[in-house]
Amino acid sequence: MNDDHRFPEPGATDQELTDSLLEEELRQAAAVLDPVPDDLLQLALDAYALHDLDARIAELTFDSLVDALPVRGVPDAPRMLTFSAGEVTVDVEVTEDGLIGQVLPPQSARIEVLGGPQTARPVTADTLGRFTSDTPPAGPFALRLRTGAEVIVTEWLRA
Amino acid sequence: MRCGTLHSAAYDDMPYTRGGAVDRTEVGALVRSAVDGDAAAWKALVEGMSPLVWSVVRAHRLSDADGHEVYQTVWFRFAQHLGRIREPDKAGSWLASTARHECLKVLRSLTRLTLTDDPRVLDRASDDRTPEESLIDSEEAADRAERLRRLWQELDGMGERCRQLLRVLVASPPPSYGEISAALGIAVGSIGPLRQRCLRRLRARMDARGAA
Repeated sequence: MNDDHRFPEPGATDQELTDSLLEEELRQAAAVLDPVPDDLLQLALDAYALHDLDARIAELTFDSLVDALPVRGVPDAPRMLTFSAGEVTVDVEVTEDGLIGQVLPPQSARIEVLGGPQTARPVTADTLGRFTSDTPPAGPFALRLRTGAEVIVTEWLRA
Repeated sequence: MRCGTLHSAAYDDMPYTRGGAVDRTEVGALVRSAVDGDAAAWKALVEGMSPLVWSVVRAHRLSDADGHEVYQTVWFRFAQHLGRIREPDKAGSWLASTARHECLKVLRSLTRLTLTDDPRVLDRASDDRTPEESLIDSEEAADRAERLRRLWQELDGMGERCRQLLRVLVASPPPSYGEISAALGIAVGSIGPLRQRCLRRLRARMDARGAA
């Protein structure tokens, strides 16, 4: 807060004072008329359970929403995502029908779709790390992979 | 500005009003404590920074459903990255920037944009009163509440730049200019002059409305 001068110092002009008063009124209006919904606040509090220093994070390295050129005539192209944690890569395709994905290099893994601090749903994966889920994620999701030695969690993302 | 009626019982315990739970200088310490397992520190972070995250969501005019998902995504990811954030002191900017990018993704994914003419925004300020709003709507607070509602409506009618800046600017506690910059993708140096111009424009709108 020391990088701004929003609050008038002694000797501030009337204009600055008036600006600050209006800003404070707006702040009250925001707090009263557009507060953070209580249920969201609670979800954020509960999210502390997602703090897990033992898991490796697989970062989002490709998102077709951002990185791909739009394809003409294909309005509902599936969302393609790639997550990377070191040498391990997870490719995911999100469709209306669910998720299809592949762990690379191919390896067997136990995979779950997380939907929040309390929601984890196992998906079917074969020994080559190919997996499918016939439930599309509702809201933010992450994948938790247990390979032989480690636990990898993909960055939380809104599908 | 003191306004006793608005600070009636229902709002005294709002954690994010001025002088609320999180002093921005403590953010880094709170992050480090939360990393070490201090749930109270996490709670203080959530309560202190949620209004900022929410203001970014609201500034981008997402639908309620999309906005709620973005808000959750931001906090889930923050919890996930907690021990790995390079500059804990700037966690506010991290949150604001993450919220902005998620908002932009939502806007990009929408085939039909509903950026304006969203009747819910005005409804929220007029018809659909929450119980909290009704509470402050007591006789003695009616004038005050009415002015705040008008202010909010006028803000909603402003151009995108001003509307977005002012919405984030007035989160509680007041965000730093660094956080506002991260929230909106504008240079820190341009925030002061823009703030001044937008506040004066808003006041002019209020004056015009009063005169009408």
